[in-house]
Amino acid sequence: MITLTLKEQPEVPIEAEALSPDVVAELGNDELRALPIFFGKRQLRLEEFFEVEGEASEELEIHGDASRVKWLGRGMTRGRLRIVGNAGMHLGAFMKGGSIEVSGNASDWIGAEMSGGLIRIGGNAGGQIGAAYRGSLTGMTAGTIVVEGSAGLEVGMRMKRGIIVVKGMAKDFTGLEMKGGTIILGGAELRTGAWMKRGTIISLTPIPLLPTFAYNCSYNPTFLRIYARELETLGVSLPFEESEGSYELYSGDAAVSRKGELLVWQPAG
Amino acid sequence: MAAQLGGKVTCTLGEVKNRADFIIYWGGNPADCHPLHFSRYTLTPKGKHVPEGRKGRTMVLVDVRETPSAKHADILLQVKPGKDFEVVTTLRALVKNQPVDAARVAETGLTLEQLQDLVDRMKNARFGVLFFGMGLSMTRGKHMNSAAVLALVAELNAYTKFVSMPMRGHGNVTGADVVMRWTTGFPFGVNLSRGYPRFNPGEFSTIDVLVRGDNDATLVLGADPGATMPQPAIDHLSRTPTIVLDPKVTHTSRLARIHITTATTGISAPGTVYRMDEIPLPLKPILESPYPTDEEVIHRILEKVKEKPAWTPASFKEVPCA
Amino acid sequence: MLRITGGKVYDPANDVNGEVRDVCISDGRIVDEVAGADVRTIDAAGMVVFPGGVDVHTHVAGGAINFARAMTPENHRDAAKFIHSPELRAGVGGATPSTFATGYLYAGLGYTTVNEAAVPVLSARHTHEELRDTPLVDKSCCVLMANNELLLDLLEEGETERARHLLAWHLWAAKGYGVKAVNPGGVTAWKWGKNAKILSEPVPGYSKVTPAKIISSLAAMVDELKLPHPLHLHCNNLGAPGNIDTTIETMKVLDGHRAHMAHLQFHSYGGDDWDTLRSESVRLAEFFNEQPNLTADAGAILFGDSVTITADGPWQHLLYQLTGRKWGNLDVENETGCGVVPYTYKGTNMVNAVQWAVGLELLLLIDDPWRIYLTTDHPNGACFWRYPEIIHLLMNADFRRECIDKLPEKALKRIYLPGIDREYTLSEIAIIISAGPARALGMPQKGHLGVGADADVALYNDDPDRERMFGHPRYLLKGGEVVVEEGDIRKMVDGREYIVRPSFDKNIEEYLRPLFEQYYTMSFDNYPVEMERLEGADIRECG
Repeated sequence: MITLTLKEQPEVPIEAEALSPDVVAELGNDELRALPIFFGKRQLRLEEFFEVEGEASEELEIHGDASRVKWLGRGMTRGRLRIVGNAGMHLGAFMKGGSIEVSGNASDWIGAEMSGGLIRIGGNAGGQIGAAYRGSLTGMTAGTIVVEGSAGLEVGMRMKRGIIVVKGMAKDFTGLEMKGGTIILGGAELRTGAWMKRGTIISLTPIPLLPTFAYNCSYNPTFLRIYARELETLGVSLPFEESEGSYELYSGDAAVSRKGELLVWQPAG
Repeated sequence: MAAQLGGKVTCTLGEVKNRADFIIYWGGNPADCHPLHFSRYTLTPKGKHVPEGRKGRTMVLVDVRETPSAKHADILLQVKPGKDFEVVTTLRALVKNQPVDAARVAETGLTLEQLQDLVDRMKNARFGVLFFGMGLSMTRGKHMNSAAVLALVAELNAYTKFVSMPMRGHGNVTGADVVMRWTTGFPFGVNLSRGYPRFNPGEFSTIDVLVRGDNDATLVLGADPGATMPQPAIDHLSRTPTIVLDPKVTHTSRLARIHITTATTGISAPGTVYRMDEIPLPLKPILESPYPTDEEVIHRILEKVKEKPAWTPASFKEVPCA
Repeated sequence: MLRITGGKVYDPANDVNGEVRDVCISDGRIVDEVAGADVRTIDAAGMVVFPGGVDVHTHVAGGAINFARAMTPENHRDAAKFIHSPELRAGVGGATPSTFATGYLYAGLGYTTVNEAAVPVLSARHTHEELRDTPLVDKSCCVLMANNELLLDLLEEGETERARHLLAWHLWAAKGYGVKAVNPGGVTAWKWGKNAKILSEPVPGYSKVTPAKIISSLAAMVDELKLPHPLHLHCNNLGAPGNIDTTIETMKVLDGHRAHMAHLQFHSYGGDDWDTLRSESVRLAEFFNEQPNLTADAGAILFGDSVTITADGPWQHLLYQLTGRKWGNLDVENETGCGVVPYTYKGTNMVNAVQWAVGLELLLLIDDPWRIYLTTDHPNGACFWRYPEIIHLLMNADFRRECIDKLPEKALKRIYLPGIDREYTLSEIAIIISAGPARALGMPQKGHLGVGADADVALYNDDPDRERMFGHPRYLLKGGEVVVEEGDIRKMVDGREYIVRPSFDKNIEEYLRPLFEQYYTMSFDNYPVEMERLEGADIRECG
């Protein structure tokens, strides 16, 4: 395992896309220390910002409040990246495989345009989770993101496939222009599912709905039972028993399509 | 940002003057903020194809409260604050004859009947135009509110001629946007730290950078963030080296390390201003000024910067981050 | 002073076809000889020496491209990055490069002259500002006039003489080089959401003005004004199945007047609808071959992502409805408009496969390389920095056949390309990328290496991989300065801007002034572009 410990808070954010299992897997300690870190307009060595222990491993652990360290795990395809502390923007963007865990909070754009792998956030995340970068047609196309806490705006914007779970509250525009995939929410603020084409959004508490979503029925879909079992392995509990309640199914967004599904859990009694 | 999402259907103001018979102002108060708009472009002038002038036009005003612009309107639609996105999304569905939930529509402050009527009028217009102001683009939803009206207008073109236009703020905002785009590709919030232009609103836009303190120095030209930005941004400007170039001593100047007085563009300094419809107009100075122009000052700073050793490492040429 | 020695020189304008001979340069021009200690010698052994490339039809500067830049940040993210250095400005490449990057990219191909094909007079100032920021190449631009309502109103009244003065006045006001016609009458109709598909039918709002009348009047006026470049014409019904009829009819309407037909590929289709779309390049080439007054550029497409940018507003609305991609539209009062839609050409799509074949067919079937030039209507068909791919396809029939084999079966019956064996020679390439366009543009100092020509010279390795060859010039000289050497930009030079000063009766201004007051929203005095806006203006007096 390679362990990096952040020495102090950088004055301006640093960009550290070199910190990914793919890059470090075969590097010796000296080579690690020399990895490029971008500090504003300057390029510096990794060791100027981090204590570096270990070498040549697919297991990379970062200790400290790295909320100003951007692009960790960018494009990674294998291995395990663990952050004991907070992580900065663009964590796991373009990721293809492997796993990322953050014990604390993450920032915006985690898993943006990812196509595989697993990201788990122990605290809160920011906005644009698994989303498309500005102007891009498509966001995440595969993979799983689980956030224990809350999230920001535009979660899952233009996603095509994959699963995003936010156990806490998400802000406005969750599932904006979604093309497919699944988002599971503890709850959300406004405009959930805005302009969605396809895909499934499941909210475990009642949420405000756009006028362009139509109520279909209340039911306990069988697919959820199977789904719930899979999600258990990720530590996510999805209610599905009739005795506990049922889901209100809404379809929308009529402004764009009516193939999107919004399921809102209604506990029994 | 809204145009990046779904495009933008627009025209120059002369097209509005000559053809528009149905004008919607959404989230703006032109009577106060763009005082010549009605008389020059939209309501009273005799247009080539609207020779009857005001009589040939219908004006709809959509806002959260009644402003001085209201007395010029034929139809007033008072929407509840923060509900514009819901209204526009509903209109998009109605344009396509799709069903919507009447009860949830009513939560916006407008009824389904009112919105259906608006859709019918829009479709029956010969040439419709939707102007949208900061009441839309700066309230909850922000760029998504703008994107919503742009999408609605694009979709209306399946039925009739319809265009949209943002009501821009003061100064030469449009000009800055236009020049940034041709020199860097991006309209605002451009980061050049890695040696080439990168764009990500929320990460590199000015207000976010200042509020988070992501930069360690600030040069301010033709703006007054010290008057308009949230307190954390103002504190950051005070704590770090800030340089202001402005004809007047501004709020920001008072926080800054250095203030350089420059000549007023358009009065003492030449240039080009880009109108809200992106038409370039020449600025011909009429008065002399004892102060240098912004351009002269920037050139002199650049000369000094060029004397420093180049900082872009050769390794920047490798594939950089997005 | 400079001597290029040992290279095979291709200077078709002066009948030099691969001879090994010296090219001498002094004071920015080609000269007979140079002597003395102060002569730099470039050893061009193993290389070919071409006159610098001339792009006769491209969209690189002004309101329309800048609108496209606004709409496509995702393209900039994926594009080539230009890193700032003490010599070079930062920038982005891609389908809508930033201005500095545009200059670097053209130089990186060995091009030295670029004609911006579509400029609205109302925003010409903006175009010139962008051209100022486009380094390394010389520039010219064509001004949009076929949908100028002040002009059309005069044609309606039969006031052809006054119309000519108006045309000339506008050309000078815009500081343009040539006159551009896009979808004549169609863009005017688009102001009401309509189009003009029939050449003999009056344009909406007019009873006598038809697209045919606009075309013939403009072509006649351009000839009367003795402009160096003929009317530059984007025909009606661009992109539509069966539009071959419109194109042939248009050529007949021109009735012997000079014209340059833009991006002919998009105008050469048979069939009745998208399912029956097919190539009519044979019919077009046969007719075109008999019209010595006409030149054309190919407007070829290549598979991949691009952005369509055109003044043809109604076409872009249709493309948006067909593809669902984001749509930008900007109508310019009284004059013209533009539409922008990102588009992807797919090798598996039958329509795109036919389009790909048609561009190449036109280049191979039109007999005279002096009349058909290599373009992709950048960025509509493909990005200009992909021209080397087309050169390779033209010069190597085997490679072409390999590509044809990848096309969908259905497409093969709709195209002529499989039956064409012709391979372009280097001499012919020099004509279609340089000598021919220079002649069509009426620039006698460009496109050749004879004594007195501008010393714009490109040196390429004589590499059988023609795509690699033309994509990587070993040297590029611009006005005698070595600006590119071994893949690096060595020197920054600012190009000239070529403009014309046609003659017109000054009284036209008294006619125009009140009309501006009524119909425009810019004051008459602000409308003409000031000379100071242009960098390195080179004025050609006409008429």
